[in-house]
Amino acid sequence: MNEDQPKTIGYLVGGGLKENLRVRLTVPPQEVQEGAFVIIESGEWLYFGLVTDLQLGATDPRFADEQSETRLPPGMARLLHGQTLYTTLEVLPALMLERGPDLQSPDYPRWLEEIELGLREKPHPLPVKTVPPHHASVRLAQPGDVAEIFGKTSQEGNFIIGFTREQGHPVCINLDKFVQRSSGVFGATGTGKSFLTRLLLAGLVHHNRAAVLVLDMHNEYGFEDTASDTGLRVPGLREKFPGRVRVVGVGKGTTIRNQPPDFNLEVAMADIQPQDIELLTRELNLRETTSTVLDALVATFGLGRWFAEFKDMLVGATIENEEGKKVPAPHSVEAWAFRTGVHPEAAKGLHSKLGVLFRRAYIVEQPAADTVGEIIKSLEAGQHIVLSFGRYDSDLDYLLVSNLLTRKIRERWEQRTNAFRTSGEDEPRPLVIVLEEAHKLLNREMAAQTTFSTIARELRKYYVTLLIVDQRPSQIYDEVMSQLGTRISGWLGDDDDIRAVLSGLAGREALRSMLARLQPKEEVLLIGWGVPMPLPVRSRRYDDRFWEELQGKSSSSRSSDQILKELGF
Amino acid sequence: MTTIEIGRLLRANTAGFVVGCRVNQLEAPSFGALVRVPQVDGYQIYGLIHDMHIDDDGLVRQLVTAEGVDESVIADNRLNRNVPLEMSVLVVGYAEGERVLHLLPPRPPLSLDQIYLCEADEIRRFTAAGRFGYFRHILRAKEMPVGELLAAHLAQAQEAHTEAGNHGWSDAATQELIILLRDDYSTLMSVLGALGDALPGKA
Repeated sequence: MNEDQPKTIGYLVGGGLKENLRVRLTVPPQEVQEGAFVIIESGEWLYFGLVTDLQLGATDPRFADEQSETRLPPGMARLLHGQTLYTTLEVLPALMLERGPDLQSPDYPRWLEEIELGLREKPHPLPVKTVPPHHASVRLAQPGDVAEIFGKTSQEGNFIIGFTREQGHPVCINLDKFVQRSSGVFGATGTGKSFLTRLLLAGLVHHNRAAVLVLDMHNEYGFEDTASDTGLRVPGLREKFPGRVRVVGVGKGTTIRNQPPDFNLEVAMADIQPQDIELLTRELNLRETTSTVLDALVATFGLGRWFAEFKDMLVGATIENEEGKKVPAPHSVEAWAFRTGVHPEAAKGLHSKLGVLFRRAYIVEQPAADTVGEIIKSLEAGQHIVLSFGRYDSDLDYLLVSNLLTRKIRERWEQRTNAFRTSGEDEPRPLVIVLEEAHKLLNREMAAQTTFSTIARELRKYYVTLLIVDQRPSQIYDEVMSQLGTRISGWLGDDDDIRAVLSGLAGREALRSMLARLQPKEEVLLIGWGVPMPLPVRSRRYDDRFWEELQGKSSSSRSSDQILKELGF
Repeated sequence: MTTIEIGRLLRANTAGFVVGCRVNQLEAPSFGALVRVPQVDGYQIYGLIHDMHIDDDGLVRQLVTAEGVDESVIADNRLNRNVPLEMSVLVVGYAEGERVLHLLPPRPPLSLDQIYLCEADEIRRFTAAGRFGYFRHILRAKEMPVGELLAAHLAQAQEAHTEAGNHGWSDAATQELIILLRDDYSTLMSVLGALGDALPGKA
């Protein structure tokens, strides 16, 4: 096909903004798929839309019911079918763009001049507010159309996330916009979420405008991994960005995929706060009395010492008093409980349940170094951190460490932002926290207790956003879901999950079936604030070619000044 | 231009006319054939033969019931019959000089006007003008065997176009008929059925 003359695929026959537009197809239906990006041309305006349905129709139902090809000569049957049987596209109109008068028209130079003189607004895509007229011609999007809406591939900050399904035109997301609000990557298990996340992380690290902290529960992103389905080698971020990405292992001596991390994270007991424990109610099977006991511990020993003191207490230790009676020893839990008026059984119960944490090797009284501070400093200094949990990959460790670390980060970024706004200090570097298995931290019960829901709701103003990676979006608290800007979703089968991913978006009904028909591992749907319009795309492959395109391009386009700056000169 | 005269006009109205002819003139015209009636100043009326009927007279009625009628008597009755053979023609357009219009003529032809059969070049000229506008006259005539008439006409017209190397005329004509009749399932299927029989190798 000649790119100068895009092929018309049909013409507008009806519809509206509420019920979508209807287009009579003039090419075989196999040439257009659900989710196709189409352009409706109408005079001085272009309308951009998404095919949400294809329906077979007939001028009279009897033409469809009768197999006329058995009664008529083949050529005549073909002519009959061409005129009486047809396919109607349902198009969700998304954007409109003024393109001005015809290029050959004398009005065109005048129109251009008016824009240059500022008498007329420069054309840019607008949300669709009217409809094109009947019989407006419809065509599939060309590379230029895709670039007009989703941005040019050559533009700084634009990252190719995939390609249009029919014609393979590259589709970009703008990473600067992507990190401005929290975002989400969703998809049922085995639909390519991890690879998509790897792609995004590679793009973010390469673009290097925002720091990235990956809470890598399953040790997938830092070092080389093997794909579970293909068995092929999957390069890690540390390997590809050795100078920019640091891998942190939880606990002293922890190795990640048999490789030593850049440094190990140790949590100081003083950093553990009662709310960190309350967060683990389900994991530790804590009772209602927990908060009372914790309050008493903090009141007795202070916020910085309560955990260490409680750990050192003995359960059931007794001594003989002057009268020869056995009484609780001074350092026993019971003795403390009597002193503070807490029910001894409640205190003993909590001590027993916290035993799991007392035995965790990464929780130490005095860490060898301030590793939490080191992580924060690295992030501030423009590096990216992959926090791998190594052998501590249980929900308990993930919840505790993630929440504790994020709380500290939040405090630091809030402090820096306030300093920037009030004292004119350096602007904080935007930070993206990548949260795997997000429903564990952001479900309805936990959301109120963790730092993450606050980040999702409010911390955009403080330069911190989340990138949520999850397979059960319906389990994530609605309030958090509704705050997500860009949503990238692979195939989802569960109705509740589909509803959750599409919450708060226009055209939900039309997109719903599209989400359920995405090809697993191959296709994803881009939706939400961060993309100009919803679009299903064939996702980019995370392979050697991807790295060549990403890093090859950077090595040729970076100036020597930039390289020296990155090296610290 | 052809000079094959097929008869003279018996009676007419704006939408059609009836031609009377002798038995020896009956071999040239056929059902569905395009005919023309020349008028003054290059003005001609075109029509399609949609019916031919042979009325009886008193002598025929007697001969039908008689026994052992001699062949010469039958031949004499056919050749020298008093009642003419009649052909009904549906008016489908007219021409003013070179300009062909698929409209009803301003006035009908007059009695005893001569009727001529159109030859291939005239058929091509009339049928290639415009976008098959004359089909609406045929499709409006519900009392006629529309499918049969169209099948006969399309077969004859395609033959004329094929002579000039245009093999796709009947496809375009069929497509136009489908467009015109797509809301009338039974008529369209009847027409296509007839066309399928008349043009088995074409469409």
